[in-house]
Amino acid sequence: MSGRRRLGLVAAGATLLAAAPIASIFDGYTWLMQCLFTVGLIAGAAVGARTLRFPAWAQALSMIVVLLLTLTWIFPSGDEFFIPQPSTFSHFADLFSQAGQDTRSYGVPVPDREGLLFVTVLGIGSVAIAVDLLTVVARKPALAGLPMLAIYSVPVAVYVDSVPVLPFIIGATGFLWLLVSDNIDRVRRFGRRFTGDGRDVDVWEPSPLAAAGRRLGVIGVIAAVLVPLAVPTISGGLLSRLTQNGAGVGVGPGNGSGGRINLFASLSGQLTQTATVELVRLKTTEQTPYYLRFGVADQLNNNGFGSRSPNGENVAQGLPDPRQSTAGGAFADYKAEVEVSESLAQGMLPLYQNTTGIDGLQNGWFFDDNQQVVYSSRRSTKGLKYNFDYVRARYSQSQLRQAEPLSPDDPIMRLNTTHPEDETVSNLVKGLVAGKKTEYDKVRALYDHFSSKNNFSYRLSTQPVTNSSEIASFLQTKAGYCQQYAAALAWMAREAGIPARVAFGFTRGERDGDTFVITNRNAHAWTEIYFKGFGWIPFDATPAASVAGAARSDYAPDIDLPTQAPAASESAAVPGADPSAAAPGADRPDRPDFSDQSASGSTGSESSGLSGTALLIIALAALLLALLLVPALRRVLVRKHRHAATAREEPKVTRLGGPDDIVVTAETVKARADAHAAWDELMDTMIDFRIPIDPTETPRVTAQRLITDAVLLDEPASAATLLGSAEERARYARKPLQGGELTAALGQVRRGLSRSANRRTRIAAVLMPPSVLMRWRLGLGEASTRLVTFGGRLRDLLAKASPRRLLPHRGR
Amino acid sequence: MTTPTWDEPGGPMPSDEFRDATQAIMANIEQVIEGKSATVRLALAVLLAEGHLLIEDVPGVGKTKLAKALARSIDCSVRRIQFTPDLLPSDVTGVSVYNQETRDFEFKPGAVFANLVVGDEINRASPKTQSALLESMEERQVTVDGTTYELQAPFMVIATQNPIEMEGTYPLPEAQRDRFTARIAMGYPDPRAELAMLSGHGAHDPLSDLRSVADAATVRRLIATVRNVHAADAVQQYAIALVTATREAPEIRLGASPRCTLQLLRTAKAVAALEGRDYVLPDDLQALAVPVLAHRIIPTADAQLNRRTTDAIVAEIVHRLPLPHDRNRSPYDTRNTGGAQYESRGL
Repeated sequence: MSGRRRLGLVAAGATLLAAAPIASIFDGYTWLMQCLFTVGLIAGAAVGARTLRFPAWAQALSMIVVLLLTLTWIFPSGDEFFIPQPSTFSHFADLFSQAGQDTRSYGVPVPDREGLLFVTVLGIGSVAIAVDLLTVVARKPALAGLPMLAIYSVPVAVYVDSVPVLPFIIGATGFLWLLVSDNIDRVRRFGRRFTGDGRDVDVWEPSPLAAAGRRLGVIGVIAAVLVPLAVPTISGGLLSRLTQNGAGVGVGPGNGSGGRINLFASLSGQLTQTATVELVRLKTTEQTPYYLRFGVADQLNNNGFGSRSPNGENVAQGLPDPRQSTAGGAFADYKAEVEVSESLAQGMLPLYQNTTGIDGLQNGWFFDDNQQVVYSSRRSTKGLKYNFDYVRARYSQSQLRQAEPLSPDDPIMRLNTTHPEDETVSNLVKGLVAGKKTEYDKVRALYDHFSSKNNFSYRLSTQPVTNSSEIASFLQTKAGYCQQYAAALAWMAREAGIPARVAFGFTRGERDGDTFVITNRNAHAWTEIYFKGFGWIPFDATPAASVAGAARSDYAPDIDLPTQAPAASESAAVPGADPSAAAPGADRPDRPDFSDQSASGSTGSESSGLSGTALLIIALAALLLALLLVPALRRVLVRKHRHAATAREEPKVTRLGGPDDIVVTAETVKARADAHAAWDELMDTMIDFRIPIDPTETPRVTAQRLITDAVLLDEPASAATLLGSAEERARYARKPLQGGELTAALGQVRRGLSRSANRRTRIAAVLMPPSVLMRWRLGLGEASTRLVTFGGRLRDLLAKASPRRLLPHRGR
Repeated sequence: MTTPTWDEPGGPMPSDEFRDATQAIMANIEQVIEGKSATVRLALAVLLAEGHLLIEDVPGVGKTKLAKALARSIDCSVRRIQFTPDLLPSDVTGVSVYNQETRDFEFKPGAVFANLVVGDEINRASPKTQSALLESMEERQVTVDGTTYELQAPFMVIATQNPIEMEGTYPLPEAQRDRFTARIAMGYPDPRAELAMLSGHGAHDPLSDLRSVADAATVRRLIATVRNVHAADAVQQYAIALVTATREAPEIRLGASPRCTLQLLRTAKAVAALEGRDYVLPDDLQALAVPVLAHRIIPTADAQLNRRTTDAIVAEIVHRLPLPHDRNRSPYDTRNTGGAQYESRGL
């Protein structure tokens, strides 16, 4: 029964491996310690129960008892001593409700909350018991995959966007380990397992069954990878991540603390995107609104900008009114009505800045006061309709000039001015802000730097902004698009000691009556800079002419306009100062847009057929098609080559004299070569049409059999006979057959064969010629045989060098 | 009359002449033996291959008739020996008798001194007597009392025998069997041929009407033509491979001899010439494998217990043995790669 006990331990190990996805939910690793302890004790209980030969129900009971005890020890209420008391259970109930609250109020990754830890340990412990019972008692380890999968479903449910792949691989490895162990145990129960150790049995001895299994496995894996690719809705996860990095944009997967959504990746420059997908319809009482905004990247390190996990209070508790905290500026109240399409599914709500109240949201949306974003870790914007009130603040340049520098101890200062050290950037910034007195003037100096006068230009097809050094290099190359401009300006502001961050959202969109229609082409990123007393003020450094629906303000005018409108009034409205800015780029086909991660719910038909993933699929399909056509192509080439077969070299050997006088002239050599080539071609044609070849048959018999097997009549039949006799004479006669129309004969035979073959054979003969495939297969087999032979020889050689042969021969 | 030696058979013939001559002989024989053209052709091929023929079949199917018809068709000396249990070797080879007039021993040639020797019911004689043929068949000479006498060319022994299961028969010794180039079976005639035989033989014996259509000189030239037939290297390799396969087959205790290889190729040349070709095909070897090989080999006791006839064993070897190729083309021929034998029907 030691096999069963061992299997129980394997089950425990597999359960722990399957628990790997939990790592992406918790911030720390306390849960892992607790789960290790719990699962270890449960496995110990199982082994003990089996050693004492308990019946199955008693084994299960002992494991449950151990789980209960462990929970009591890890999460004590304080009243019990070692054994759970009634108060323990009420404590457990408290922990449960606490966990419920925590799930609502915390975004992932969560800190070590006791309620959540309790639920986790309880869940993993239960899974461990279930896996153990299914594997060892019920001997159905395949079923044990279900509870293990249940663990993986937790991050899937929590993360709206893609889920990390690695934990799943670890879990799957555990499952496979379980299956393998079970199988080995099964085989062992028949008797001794043959490992080949010392019994002259090579473990790698090719067995047809094993080969078939391997082939099936490979086909299964390929199908499992390719089939989901073909389904358009499943575009999250590893592959789209790969394609996005391949498409060249994105700051890498966020920061170290497991950032939620890579906003830069969302705003990826999918350069080939041609279709326009409607994302949001918006009605507002404001005439010329500024940008819609949903996310912020406020962490800058060597990997570039990344997002902090938002953290905040439920939206239902109300949003702060900026008028209470802001010193200057004119405010106006507006209302907006938003309708998000099915194509935009993300955990962040598109809103205007300074939203004061939202209507029509379900529970589960939270407001991060710091980032000023509304987010949800469970809900998605897909198909959402909501209204919100917002306040538009208008500032003038002179008002902003009054803003004083923040004190270095201010939390906003601390959080939003960290930046990597880069000499070029810091030198550039020093030069630009030199002599500027106010914060606003410094910012303007930096902002004005991004003008076309300094040779900055808008270009989508630029190097990806994946890390800080590339943002720095953007400052050298001076060609990029919104995210590079936004990131660069934010960094430079930080360099100058002014808090700055990158905001993500949409430009104004296109007006359709009283609604604004916002599509993927309106996706945008800009910089927000903090002014003391004013809060976060948006600055858009991207050339306005290149951005559809771009807006400029008085304090940050369009610097590229040749006739720059003078700051007419001190209280000019933020938006709409430059109506000309909106028009030109409206239909640029190369605007960056959303796909995949932020719009993972988008269906393939609605989003473009040419997104990166789709392109990859098409490329893969084309590659597959090309690969599939290779055999056919190879066949055609071989045929051409044979038809052109001629004697390339002058005959060197001439046997004269004696009764066996073989005539050797250039013509006969050529005739022989022709006949052989034609015969080879006939053989391949026969294989293509699935007429068997028998190496014991003479050409004459083969030709006769071909005629009877394929029911060739008249011309094809005589052509086959001709080919047979040509080959026969080429091989055996003194003089080969000359002047035979072998190529024509081949054509006739092929036509005859294709007439008598069924459709499937006919198509396969052209597209997937079995002759080519077989030759490849044989070649492969030969190569592997050579390899194995070589390996064997090498092993023998090494064995000679081994000192073990000096030992007395082990009895066998 | 000078006796031509075996090494100088005369000049070869042009192909038309060869065809006419051989077809005349075959047509002549077929006047007597109806519906057995393949057998007749094989018998003629053995003659042209300078071999000896063993006709084995049940009594009454025309073995002797075939032998006699072949002998009659050629205008050369023919002797017939009826092998009986009390036949003595000297009856076959000849004997020295004391001539009272010359007061000396005088050699009286035996039945073997002829161009064609028809040995009827050869396995009814004791092995002792059968053995008298050994020297003459292989070396084409007879040594009696220390004196060696050359035999004429062409020289051919056509022997008939009943299958050894029949009563009153002695099995031929291996050495004797090996000297026969081919063993053929007559087989029963088909009903049509049998009917023709009834109507024809009712009045008179067609054998008595048979005229010779070729003389010994012609036959020698025919033989020379056959010797000139081309056998490609690949064909020779195939012949060797066939014979080697009989030596290596697990069902066979005694395989075929090198002499057999020689005779197989010679007969194949004759068959090729009879078909109007001047080159041998593997097809010829395949067709001849059973007649030439089967009577020489001895199956193992196991194979005999399994009632495997030598004919079936040889036929299987032919079916199993791949053709050698005279050039480097073997995408399908995977014999040397070990294991992955191309499974043609499983494609």
